[in-house]
Amino acid sequence: MRTSTQRTLQTVVLAFIVLGLVALALGGYLRPLTRLLINPFVFAQSWLSSRVQAIENLARASQDLAVLRQRNLELEAQVSQLQAEIIQLKQQLAETEILSALVDFARAHPDHRYVAASVIGRDPSPFMKYVIINRGSDDGIRRGMPVVTQQGLVGRVTAVTAVAARVQLIIDPASSVDIRIEPSRAQAVLLGSLTGELSLDMIPQSASVNVGDLVLTSGLGGNYPKDILVGQVITVRRRETELFQRAAVQPVVDFSRLEIVLIIINFRPLDISPLIPTPGAP
Amino acid sequence: MAFALGFPIIALLTILQSALFSHMQLYQGYADLVLLAVIAWGLQPRVEADWHWAVIAGLVMGFTSGLPFFAPVLGYLLIVSLTRGLRMIVWQSPMLSMFVAVFVGTLLMHAIDWVALRLVGNPMPFLPALQLITLPTLFLNLLLAVIFWGIFQDLANWLYPTELMV
Repeated sequence: MRTSTQRTLQTVVLAFIVLGLVALALGGYLRPLTRLLINPFVFAQSWLSSRVQAIENLARASQDLAVLRQRNLELEAQVSQLQAEIIQLKQQLAETEILSALVDFARAHPDHRYVAASVIGRDPSPFMKYVIINRGSDDGIRRGMPVVTQQGLVGRVTAVTAVAARVQLIIDPASSVDIRIEPSRAQAVLLGSLTGELSLDMIPQSASVNVGDLVLTSGLGGNYPKDILVGQVITVRRRETELFQRAAVQPVVDFSRLEIVLIIINFRPLDISPLIPTPGAP
Repeated sequence: MAFALGFPIIALLTILQSALFSHMQLYQGYADLVLLAVIAWGLQPRVEADWHWAVIAGLVMGFTSGLPFFAPVLGYLLIVSLTRGLRMIVWQSPMLSMFVAVFVGTLLMHAIDWVALRLVGNPMPFLPALQLITLPTLFLNLLLAVIFWGIFQDLANWLYPTELMV
């Protein structure tokens, strides 16, 4: 009995205390006390929370880093591939432009039949101005056939194998080409040199040759077809004491950048050496 | 083995010289890789296949180049004679003999080419040829001499290992 009375009393007291505290809290009287009690708790929770978050970020960042690295590698590989493709396409474009120009040249000169060839090397000896092309007797190439580009005369075939041929350039020191100078129509001989420069010799003194005149093959001698452009006169040397005039020629073909050439396959050079009189012959 | 290796190595060097090094000109000259290979190989002690390499080099160059066919063959054979002589005389200083051989070999090779062209009716003016072709080629050959010496020394050591007394 006594015990139940005491419990009831305790409950009532507790209820009063709770109600009192609630009333005090509602009245704002407990705020300093609350602040005092909550602050350490908030601080502790913030500290713990920030550490947990940092650990979480670290874990996530390492995952992201691996993904980013992987992605970076993929993109780098893609960039390399695209760059290689661009280079290949540029090369194809350049080849197409050259081939297109060569086709135009072939259309403009329908009297000849051509075989296109790539220049695959130069003579291993620096004394010789020759190039090696990737077409040979299997493609109908024969010794002596003239070689041109869309710009003009390159040289002629001097040696042939089944799949390759050697071309003597007109700038070779041993090369000589019979030419005609326009508009004077004077005949002369075009000579190569060690330095790769072209010069004209045997120009008659009576001929009127000027800077800027065009130099074309004359067809004389039977080694080259006529009317193939060779170059332009850049200087003329005329001395009264000499039998002939001389001139320097700027070739229209850039021999240092030969890539694709055309071989005129329906032109057969003539061997006129038996017709040239030799000393002592009857 | 050394003889068998000669052909692919000389062929590869000829291709490199024709397709690549011929574009790297100094005036009108460019490095002669085949000459350097023949010299570097010929100067290696214990190497005996140097004559074979000279003949292979002469044939390949004679076939590839527009020079008269006999000129490279004769030139490389003379150069092997030179390297054999140097091997006996300057055996204690192989690098010195390499430089001497490259110097003399380049001049000798170009002299033979010059005479050969004159013989077949394509004479070259002497001084321009010397100034524009021979001297630049000589300079480039001397620059590459050390590299070739190193490569062919390794090749010789691999093909002719030194016998050790145990």
